[in-house]
Amino acid sequence: MSVVSSFDPPPPFLDDDFPRPLEFPEIPTARTRPLRPSIEAIGLTKRFGDFVADDSVTFTVPPGETYGLLGPNGAGKTTLVRMLTTLLPPTSGVARIRGHDVVSARGQVRRAIGTVSQAITTDENLSVRENLSVQGKMYGLWGRELKRRIELRLGQVGLWEKRGQLTRTLSGGMRRRLEIARGVLHSPRVLFLDEPTTGLDPQSRRAIWDLLGEMKASDPELAVVLTTHAMDEADYLCDRVAIMDAGRILQEGEPERLKRALETGEHVSIETDHPISDTHRDELAAIGAANWRSPAPGHVEFQSRPGEGVGRRASQWLEEKGYTIVHLTIAPVTLEDVFFSWTGRGLRE
Amino acid sequence: MSRPAVAWKPARVARGPFLAALGMLAICQRAYVTLWRQPVLLISTMLFPIIYLLLLGNSLNRPLRAVSLAVVDEAGNALSAECLRGAAALETGRDLVRLHIVQDRAEALTALRRGAYRGIWVLPQGLARLGPTPSFIGDNTDRASYETLETALGEIWTEAAAGRGVAPAVPSSRLEAYPYLDYVTYLAPAVVCLAIFMGSMVSGGLQVLEDRMYGYHEGYLVTPITTGALVSGHILAGSIIASIAGSAVLVAVLLFAPLPLLSSPSIAASVFTIFLTALSVSGVWSLLFSRARHASVLRGMFGIINAALFFPSGALYPIESYPAWLRTLSALDPLTYGVRALRDLILKGAPIASCYPAWLFLATFTVVCGMLTRVLFRREI
Repeated sequence: MSVVSSFDPPPPFLDDDFPRPLEFPEIPTARTRPLRPSIEAIGLTKRFGDFVADDSVTFTVPPGETYGLLGPNGAGKTTLVRMLTTLLPPTSGVARIRGHDVVSARGQVRRAIGTVSQAITTDENLSVRENLSVQGKMYGLWGRELKRRIELRLGQVGLWEKRGQLTRTLSGGMRRRLEIARGVLHSPRVLFLDEPTTGLDPQSRRAIWDLLGEMKASDPELAVVLTTHAMDEADYLCDRVAIMDAGRILQEGEPERLKRALETGEHVSIETDHPISDTHRDELAAIGAANWRSPAPGHVEFQSRPGEGVGRRASQWLEEKGYTIVHLTIAPVTLEDVFFSWTGRGLRE
Repeated sequence: MSRPAVAWKPARVARGPFLAALGMLAICQRAYVTLWRQPVLLISTMLFPIIYLLLLGNSLNRPLRAVSLAVVDEAGNALSAECLRGAAALETGRDLVRLHIVQDRAEALTALRRGAYRGIWVLPQGLARLGPTPSFIGDNTDRASYETLETALGEIWTEAAAGRGVAPAVPSSRLEAYPYLDYVTYLAPAVVCLAIFMGSMVSGGLQVLEDRMYGYHEGYLVTPITTGALVSGHILAGSIIASIAGSAVLVAVLLFAPLPLLSSPSIAASVFTIFLTALSVSGVWSLLFSRARHASVLRGMFGIINAALFFPSGALYPIESYPAWLRTLSALDPLTYGVRALRDLILKGAPIASCYPAWLFLATFTVVCGMLTRVLFRREI
């Protein structure tokens, strides 16, 4: 049996254009469809008694964008996703998915979204195919259409050969891939991924990243919201990220822009044949080296602004001054540096 | 943003009532497959009521045998000898008693208090037809044996006191409207209802709770299926499994119990009654678990709900013997109607029309439970 290998565009039945919301002006496109945000959250707040899980969160995700929600445990990411996926009513604020309010138009919202939860939601007593069959029916899929989609999605996540196997016998990575197949079975327009690769080995993580990349490539309008603790994952997958803590979005933007905005993001380590004098050190500081420390004679470490080549220029300058560079490391700034700079290093409760 | 120019055939996607029906089908499919994949649960669901039937049916309402009885013959005359012969006949004939001839009344009384005897029959000195007459001292903590012994010994005295050559009174006419049924067969409809109770618990009730505990429910709460369809699906799934369990027990009863009045229409009507009873009991479980999140709720509730549904139903003893408050509970208990309709159909061969009121109650009860569950069900995490 052949398995279709590429992702297909979403079917018209999920194209929830009607009724058109008045608040979004129609922008002519190739299909003369109104371009409206896939997700729009305005002042979204969730309180549990005195505890504020999400505090007036505002953000917008246009179609086709992968938006990352980063934050330590208890930052409010999962609560935010639950509000957007109709699983929790907001205490205040407004959220719309493709123009449909998550409170008053839950039916349309549920039709438009797909979710891959942090929890394992596939039934371990069912086979791989039965899990998708049950889920598909809940989206109104049946008959040949359902069969075709199960075949397609299982092929995409590499589980077609395991279709008759009981879910409880799958490895963690396979189970997670099945969760993703289940989340996208009905070709959602907005996909929510809540820590989709937690606890997986590097191969499984990479397979899931590739899968998401393939999905994005085949459906340019698919908006994805990804919550994760893995900064490399967010860096690799997300067009924009929001750093959350204590229920608030502290910073939002493209990963590269956030990294470049970090004053002391780049870490430079230089080992020389003899100790750098204090005079030369002051001159290096003038180039842009900050937070200077010397762990050993002939070994200096400093930080600098990313993208300005301070490390490279400093090493050239030292060589011009007669030092021999024994070892040079320029560690680029990572999203983790950005994350720590906004959330701090303190442990959360 | 433009899409790839791929011609899409409109997908055949269910909407409205068809979507609800598909969603319910999915829930039932899952419950059915899940249960078949857990044979231990399946077997215990069906085995529990049958064990219940065998143990309860054989431990209740059986004739008493070999009850210890002390006889103190203080009279030593012809009449007391007649009484002793009668008592000996109780031992050798009906095997009701084990006789112990004791000389001293005080000694017998002490032994009774120690639990050696269940009763003492004292034939006092000078025993005569006009008095003194025999006295019976019995262990009245056990009403069943006390009353049986008292009646049997009373009959012996009446016969002995009447004297030889006096013809016994002609018994009044006694007719039985239905063929003879032993207690185990009488219990069969109740046990079918017990199987329904178990089946609906392990599939409908337990499934909802397990889904919440293990997080499975997150997968279907975000789908477009309506909450009403979700609730109906769970009730239906529970009732299908419960109907299978109830019908399996019914088949076991039909195979082993002599039921001469049974006919094909009454078997069909019995299966329908089982389905309606299963729906209503599943409704009760769904209502109870509409907000529950932990298995401790089930563990805590199982005994209470079992007792609250089974005992007031008239399954073991006639409802007419209940106090007023228990009769009210019985009138609201769906198992009462299930047991009654099944008894009418399979024990009495009653016309199907006689079950209509019970069917109407069961259907209404299910709808009310479903609506309340729909209101209480929180589609939230």
